[in-house]
Amino acid sequence: MKSIKGDYTKLKELFIRAYHEKEKPEVNELWQRRVMSHIRSLGPVSSRRRYFMLFEESVWRLVPVTCLLIVILVAFLIKLDLIPDYEMAKLFIDDPVESIFLEWFGV
Amino acid sequence: MRMMNDPETEMNNGSSKPSDTEIVRRVLQGEINAFESLLLRYQDHVFEVVKKHVPYSEVEETAHDVFVRAYQSLSTFQGRSSFRQWLSAIAVRACYDFWRKRYRNRELPMSSLTEEHPEWLEKVVSNRSGESFDDNYSQKGARELLAWALDRLSAEDRMVLELIYLEGLSGREASDLLGWSVANVKVRSLRARRKLRSLVMGLVEA
Repeated sequence: MKSIKGDYTKLKELFIRAYHEKEKPEVNELWQRRVMSHIRSLGPVSSRRRYFMLFEESVWRLVPVTCLLIVILVAFLIKLDLIPDYEMAKLFIDDPVESIFLEWFGV
Repeated sequence: MRMMNDPETEMNNGSSKPSDTEIVRRVLQGEINAFESLLLRYQDHVFEVVKKHVPYSEVEETAHDVFVRAYQSLSTFQGRSSFRQWLSAIAVRACYDFWRKRYRNRELPMSSLTEEHPEWLEKVVSNRSGESFDDNYSQKGARELLAWALDRLSAEDRMVLELIYLEGLSGREASDLLGWSVANVKVRSLRARRKLRSLVMGLVEA
């Protein structure tokens, strides 16, 4: 096993050499012209996008704060022992005038 | 592709040539032709990055894509890093996208091995006497075997392996180029190295 390890190191060296000795195509004028013509066809890049990107970045930065607020609110509601159905029923029982008003709407 | 100070930008500060930031500003103000200066300044660098990651026949097309992407996202260049580093990250991500697309569509045939390759590998692995092979023979064998093994890895494993294992970049440098977390890069690098090793050693044991 030790010898395989040693030989694998040699293989690794060969791989690294082969990787770095890859042939590179020459940059030619035709290629440059093609790229520039493609870029011109795209039209000007607006710097307004930059402000939009900055806005987007700041919105994402607020995400942890928003999540924290949600967690705090949920914890607060759990602690309050708030049951919506029970609270609604209690509201109608305590305030019959309101419940009559709601009956008009079929609620 | 080592992360270092940008020599061209530094050089430009002392000469009459406009700096990269200045050119970017002009392009963003609507002077599209100014982008040509960036193209001429960095085309060799982009070709150098791209040729390492994609097949020879795809280098021009991918480099073209890199400059188009750079132009389209020029407004996101904030000058925190040098333009060269920013462009390198775009180039690496374009290569990653190339492999993702290739693996998804299987557009090009995967490289295959002949009977000679396991023989070559056997010779390299069993060469305990330190016998030196013909250089061309070694390089050809290594190149083809590496291409075969890399084709059998996922696009993610392939990119991480090339950047860390073959180029010698640190986890932080690779994560900056790929836009992934350092932990993700390190874990993937370890797994990819194991996969490569088992693929190659599988040929010897077979």
